[in-house]
Amino acid sequence: MARNSRVFLLFLLFGLPASDAPNGRPELESDVCTIPLTQVLRIPISTLGAPATAESLNVAPATLLVSTGAADEPPWGPSGFDVLDDGSLLIADPLRSRVSFFDSHGEFRKAWKIGFAADSLTVTAKGVVLVREATTGQLHAFDREGKALPTEEGTLPEQAEARVLNTKNGTIRRPAAGNSQGGLLEVKFDRPGLTLVSLEALAIDQKGDTYVALETSANGDAAEGINVNKYVRRYSSDGKLLCEIADIPLDYYISPVDELRVHKGLVYQLQTTSSEVRINVWDTNQLCSRSSH
Amino acid sequence: MGYEPTLLSLLTLSRRSAVFARLPLLFVCAWLISGLHTQAQIEVIAHLPHATRAEIMARAEKLAKHTWVCGAPNLRAACSKKYLSDWKSGQRVTGIPYCWGGIDGPEAFDRKLADGLAAGAHSRFGVLKCAAGIDCSGFVMLSWGLSSSGHAYSTSNLREIAGKPKYNVFADMKPGDVLNKPGSHVVLFTGYNPDGTISVCEASSSQARVVCRKATWSRFKGYISLQYKGIDD
Repeated sequence: MARNSRVFLLFLLFGLPASDAPNGRPELESDVCTIPLTQVLRIPISTLGAPATAESLNVAPATLLVSTGAADEPPWGPSGFDVLDDGSLLIADPLRSRVSFFDSHGEFRKAWKIGFAADSLTVTAKGVVLVREATTGQLHAFDREGKALPTEEGTLPEQAEARVLNTKNGTIRRPAAGNSQGGLLEVKFDRPGLTLVSLEALAIDQKGDTYVALETSANGDAAEGINVNKYVRRYSSDGKLLCEIADIPLDYYISPVDELRVHKGLVYQLQTTSSEVRINVWDTNQLCSRSSH
Repeated sequence: MGYEPTLLSLLTLSRRSAVFARLPLLFVCAWLISGLHTQAQIEVIAHLPHATRAEIMARAEKLAKHTWVCGAPNLRAACSKKYLSDWKSGQRVTGIPYCWGGIDGPEAFDRKLADGLAAGAHSRFGVLKCAAGIDCSGFVMLSWGLSSSGHAYSTSNLREIAGKPKYNVFADMKPGDVLNKPGSHVVLFTGYNPDGTISVCEASSSQARVVCRKATWSRFKGYISLQYKGIDD
């Protein structure tokens, strides 16, 4: 009898709160195809503690360098990345003033010594690598071999304009590109207990499919700290929601400048933790092509 | 089997009774201590300089737009052999440089620059008295008008001079409020954008200076919004 009472008490204490967790995700709409995490590339880091020396900046070239920071100074290190045509990755290594290259399996291949700390990287449709200097915000253009190009080449691609209309709706104004005529894309987010907070157009591919990042929250009262969820959605050129990524981890050790990139239907996330740099990859091609037909 | 009191159980019971008997006294002590703390806080708040939101934004903008030129002497820190500068000789920079532990406004910074101090420094080089600039909490303090109190507040004790407003952080923050993560970083909120992201100004260690920029909310996961207690709304 006493044992049964204890079991019941334990259920009351732990069972009920777990079944109604405030941060738990509600059931998704049945017609949304949800993409699971496909692959995680893990790149080792070297940690730069205090005091730092010039020698400590040159250790282990195949790793990326991270500074641990201190009270009132957040950790710093890789915050920018992009993906090349063959699926290989370039990641900014600002503490060593270089850009490092990794193949599609996460193996180190080479590094460009660029002579300044970079915090953001963009590979344009023409294949030009744009590197943003962290301390000035200036864009530097390089060709695929790392040769500096004239500054006129240093123009970021135009980003589609996003707008949040209310807690459930937003729009993306898509420019005409490739086979897409462009136009206004309506984004609806209607989940019980969650509100739409922000919208960002990540990319528009050759087919005219649009990739959108949504930030949502269950609670605007941030007394215990701001808490948001992030989703990435793929919409067809005619505005149909094709699929959604709902399991994007946001526990960053270093806040990324280039948080998400899209290439050939793959969505990449840069997540620097205290022990490694992770590139999380979701493949929206197979599942989404099935749901769109 | 009946209950037979043992010496141990009797001792335990008597200890429990003693604790229960002292509970009212403990409550009174706790109340007195909390009262003293509140009194100390009232003293601090009473002496806070008042500021309008427009004044706060103007000060922040001044720190972000301050232009200076890095001279050759400002690339070195006389008190540190390990120091590495973020800048180049002759480089023209906009924004007071990031300096861990620093709280230099434009005039103080220019003076120190002319005296040959290093332009900015990071925590990995230690606390450098031979460097000039500003850190994240120093930036917020100067923006709020707390220039005469030295670097009395950090992200860990900013709560003493800033309250937690009961509002929807995604809709109701006002320019001059801050997003703070104790022990880590603090930024000054300047406005909401049409896409739902926010604009902030901050002394950024990664960008090595005071900057104003757009940011997504995921960057501020775990941050708490605070409002300066000396604000004139």
